[in-house]
Amino acid sequence: MQFLLLTFFTPALGLVFQEATSGRFAVAWQKAQHPDLSKFLIIGALLFIIGVAGVLTRRNIIVIFMSIELILNAANLNFIALSRYLQATGNVNAVAGQIFAVFVIVVAAAEAAIGLGIVIALYRNKETIWVDEIDILKW
Amino acid sequence: MVLTGWEAVFFWVFSITAIFAGLLTVMARNTIHSALFLISSLVSVAALFILLNAEFLAGVQILVYVGGVMVLFLFVIMLVNVGSEERGSEEIFNRPRQVTTSVIFCALLVAGLLYAINVGYGGLEKQNAARIKDAAAEQQVQEQNLDTSATGNSRITKATERIANSLYRYASLPFEIASVLLLVAIVGSVMLARTLKQEAAVDDVAPDVLQKEAAREPELAKIQTDSIT
Repeated sequence: MQFLLLTFFTPALGLVFQEATSGRFAVAWQKAQHPDLSKFLIIGALLFIIGVAGVLTRRNIIVIFMSIELILNAANLNFIALSRYLQATGNVNAVAGQIFAVFVIVVAAAEAAIGLGIVIALYRNKETIWVDEIDILKW
Repeated sequence: MVLTGWEAVFFWVFSITAIFAGLLTVMARNTIHSALFLISSLVSVAALFILLNAEFLAGVQILVYVGGVMVLFLFVIMLVNVGSEERGSEEIFNRPRQVTTSVIFCALLVAGLLYAINVGYGGLEKQNAARIKDAAAEQQVQEQNLDTSATGNSRITKATERIANSLYRYASLPFEIASVLLLVAIVGSVMLARTLKQEAAVDDVAPDVLQKEAAREPELAKIQTDSIT
């Protein structure tokens, strides 16, 4: 029985071991130990998608605003990662991405102030924060 | 630009935290919990900024977003307190069909973006490999010329200095426009969030609306007569 198990499993284990040391997993593990620009871009893309999903699916207008903040933040992450990459290619003064991120933060703050003002005015008049009940612009 | 050692560990910790906190922001039932998860997501992204040598932006992120914008959000959540959501009697997502469609759309978007990033980054890496290697050697030399910090075991970077130079030299016009934008935002939000009484006090309400509201609230009628006399 033991012999049978060994003869059956040893090749399988060997295959797994081989995969883990030299195969695709090993390459992925190596890449995971040295995150580069693409990893930052992937994280930015995932945060962006989460924000888009929040805007599209939630009913609470405040959570929709928070999702928009998440989207802007993902854009900032991309800006800064690419700015860092440009610095690594030799342009030490390449900080345009960071400057742009500063402006994105400014516009996000202004947008949050205006948006939350609208939320308060809307709640005072309509007594609701559910976006599917706010349809006064519908003819 | 490749992170190694502890930087890689911190990269994974903070990026996974950012993504999970973002997911929980979208999925939390209680709006306050949403805001707190968003704060933790923003702080994790600020830590990623530090890993990218953008210390100034990390500070701005924490001061402006976490300290300013999120406090504003929390105030508004408290003002617009909706208990039915927390008690679970209200649906927090849209109708199932809308949710399914948007989730499919997002899945397609994420697949497209990941594919594009992989392919694009492969090409970019091939194109810039030689330049990155040259620049890395050059940067090591330049780092030797930086001032040492007071504790003596690290060097003071010039990253923030470079941002300030660019911001005031090349982006000074956008900088001024941004200040005007902030002023407009302040004035606009004050205008939007006035109560009817405050609007009536500066005679900013349509007369028929004011008549109707004054019938319910005697105080408004008093303001009305004051403004007439």
